[in-house]
Amino acid sequence: MTTRDISLVALMAAVIVALGVVPAIPLAGGVPITLQSMGVMLAGLVLGPRRGAAAVLVVIALVALGLPVLAGGRGGLAVFAGPTAGFLLGWVLAAFVTGFLAQVFEAPEKSTPVRTLQLTLAAIVGGIVVLYLCGILWLAFFMKMGLAKAFAVSIAFVPGDVAKAVVAALVTVQVRRAVAIERK
Amino acid sequence: MIAALARPGTSPLHRIAAAPKLAGLAIVATVLFFVDEPRLLAAAFAAALVVARSTGTRFAEIGRDLRGAAVVLAVLGLADWWLIDGPTAIAVVLRLAAIALFAHAVTMTTSTAELTEVLERIFGPAERLGLLDAARAALTVTLALRFVPLIVEEANAIREAQAARGLDASPLALAVPLMVRVIVRSEALADAIDARGFPPEGARRGAARHIPARPPSP
Repeated sequence: MTTRDISLVALMAAVIVALGVVPAIPLAGGVPITLQSMGVMLAGLVLGPRRGAAAVLVVIALVALGLPVLAGGRGGLAVFAGPTAGFLLGWVLAAFVTGFLAQVFEAPEKSTPVRTLQLTLAAIVGGIVVLYLCGILWLAFFMKMGLAKAFAVSIAFVPGDVAKAVVAALVTVQVRRAVAIERK
Repeated sequence: MIAALARPGTSPLHRIAAAPKLAGLAIVATVLFFVDEPRLLAAAFAAALVVARSTGTRFAEIGRDLRGAAVVLAVLGLADWWLIDGPTAIAVVLRLAAIALFAHAVTMTTSTAELTEVLERIFGPAERLGLLDAARAALTVTLALRFVPLIVEEANAIREAQAARGLDASPLALAVPLMVRVIVRSEALADAIDARGFPPEGARRGAARHIPARPPSP
């Protein structure tokens, strides 16, 4: 990693943290709707698989250090034992898959709507399908909730997350038009 | 670079090394998550107030630092009150407020350099396994902490500029220029780090290494 890579990874980690300050809407059960998952999608879409996942790992390191960087001022090692730990750890894979798909779809000659649609798809597969798989499996097995109930609890967040995927894709297409960043 | 939250001082907390402070914070935060008794949480909150004040910073200043966190806490508390019940809301708010104060007390008394050093030590074992470069990993984490206020600062600047042009606050119209500006600033910062001779050796491609190191500007 070059110093620029380090700086960009740190920046996207900070973006994820900063998005947690935008007031969250906590739902019953303690899983809050936050914009932080959009930050995870952005990390993958803007930086690519490896650096995107690295940015998420930085956020997780900050959480482990006890800093209140998650939405609602959560942080500390207790988070890793809580109901949302599957989603938190799933962020790493989510950013990686999102970035990987964005890399696969890479095609500068395509029109803006097509690229936006492709990036939205990448964010949905990585930031929703893969992420929910991690989160639901954690809830079902480690929190002993059972698959059906874990699925039912989580599915309420999908519409919001689809909207976040669209916004993340729109932002990424415009940002990458202004600054040249290679996805890696 | 942006101003760090750390303030120089000679309080007891300033004199404790960074590693035990961080370990203590992690333990306190973890323990508090398993406490549900409101009276114990109130005691923890009171203790956190005392600890934060013991750093020599006035409550008014601490309040200004934590204003953002307080807004989030208020929203969270109201939502919990409405969705669950009053006692739960009080417990949640007291717990998170205590953790935020303890964390802030550590932040106020630990310089970025000290923090980076601790991180390097934590990452040491992983480096010996060949998993990562401890110095770079520590720098990444420290930089991320310094970037958060920078993003907030840029967001405010862009919002003010847009308001001056008579534009309404639109999240999308804010997000794109904000991302572009902070990316540009992060690249400038990377160049500044390179110019000061980081990393000491190794995988820096294409950068001149014979430039004499200048002391970093304060």
